[in-house]
Amino acid sequence: MTSPGEQEPESAQLVRPYVITNGRGLPDNDQFNLITLVTASEQRQPSHLDPEKRRLLELCSGGYLSVAEIAGHMGLPIGIVKVLLSDLSTDGYLVTRAPAPPAQLVDVSLLQEVLDGLQARFG
Amino acid sequence: MTQYLQDPALWALIAGTPLAATAIIRGRKARANLRQEKAELEKRAAELESSYAEAVQEAHTRAEEATKSALKSAMRTLQGLANEQQLAISKTQEKYGEHQLLQDLLEIDHMNSQFGRRAQSIAVLCDGWLGRQRAVASVYDVVRSAKGRIRHYTRVEIRSQSNFALVSRAVEPVALALAELLDNATSYSAPDSPIDITIRTVPKGVCVIIDDAGVGMNEEEKNRADKLLSATHATGVTGLGNPPQFGFAVIGVLAARYGFTVSVDSASPYGGVRAVVLLPEDLLTNMPEPEEQPTTHAPAAAEQPRVSASTVSGATAGGLPKRRRKGSISIVPRADSTSAPARTSEETASIMGAFQRGTQSGRSAANPNREGHDPQ
Repeated sequence: MTSPGEQEPESAQLVRPYVITNGRGLPDNDQFNLITLVTASEQRQPSHLDPEKRRLLELCSGGYLSVAEIAGHMGLPIGIVKVLLSDLSTDGYLVTRAPAPPAQLVDVSLLQEVLDGLQARFG
Repeated sequence: MTQYLQDPALWALIAGTPLAATAIIRGRKARANLRQEKAELEKRAAELESSYAEAVQEAHTRAEEATKSALKSAMRTLQGLANEQQLAISKTQEKYGEHQLLQDLLEIDHMNSQFGRRAQSIAVLCDGWLGRQRAVASVYDVVRSAKGRIRHYTRVEIRSQSNFALVSRAVEPVALALAELLDNATSYSAPDSPIDITIRTVPKGVCVIIDDAGVGMNEEEKNRADKLLSATHATGVTGLGNPPQFGFAVIGVLAARYGFTVSVDSASPYGGVRAVVLLPEDLLTNMPEPEEQPTTHAPAAAEQPRVSASTVSGATAGGLPKRRRKGSISIVPRADSTSAPARTSEETASIMGAFQRGTQSGRSAANPNREGHDPQ
């Protein structure tokens, strides 16, 4: 056990994550992963949202943010953020966009051909 | 007469009378003595009794004190451990935020909160340590925190929010008192019946109203509750009964110590108990929003490099440059606004001067061309 002086800087959150989700764990569907992009929809916010949801919508109101970024800003475990996101998108306050697909590794020979073509024309 | 004189009975009478008289006198004296002795004895007995009662009371107080101090230090250790464990659980939750393990961690967290609350309640009865000082928190958050400290928390529904916040010293006691009320409410009602919480602003402060759909309390229970809640006398640990009932005693002590009032004498619309916690104005403050601001921005600014670095490495392809430009408004202007005022007034003046010279020279240079380039 540490003395109260040492404990002061680190105090656990007042509202625990399980209360925020009311006991729900990770959503079953894989609607969100770390790089899913989310933004607030045009729909007007209701007045009775939980503080966490309201903050999440505020974060997303500026444009697309990834789930990982949101979790970082909110200071909540990603699973909890996913539950909140899934609630909000079910209610239509959020729009999601699948992450941009990772760039295909382009064939080197194709690049070489393009280079050759460019050089033949302009070089 | 002579026949009488010869009667031995007369002589016996004559001889017996002084004897009888002395005997009577002696008897009287003895009785008086006895009475006096009895009075003395009674007095002494009363003295003994009172000193005995005092001794018992003293022993009781001493035992109470000893129990309290032993429990207090034991609880302090347990509370410290519960807090440490909570922090450890928080870190693990962050670490395995995406893992299926999170569900189990949430349950462990819940159990740990209940454990911490139990230790806190006993500590309160022993005049012990309540826990760390909390930051100012909105009444809604305090109610939610209380909700998280009981076993059947999913049955609790918070129907309204509030714009008020609790001052930091009142956050933990009010949360603990509410948790004890909620524990009572869930314990004395059907396992699936809901518990409703309403937060209402009243002229004297803010009321937190807890309605359960239980069986209610009879007169005796109500009287006991009232007595404990008014806290005219401290119950202490030894007066809790067997099995010990902590709830109302804890709430009574907290209410008296921090100056809020709790009443349970009305019935809820569902037939159970309605508990009303009145938080007076001096425990309230008006600032849930400014309280959130620094916590929103400080980590945002601090974490920005880390977050963007991780996402850059994660998704270099399409969305990122665009997202950074639009960005979350809270991040970008902060960084700009802190770097902007770094100019001295001389620099500003010279910049303004340069700007003005530039526009003047531009105008004079553009003037001749202007006629030619003005077809509209």
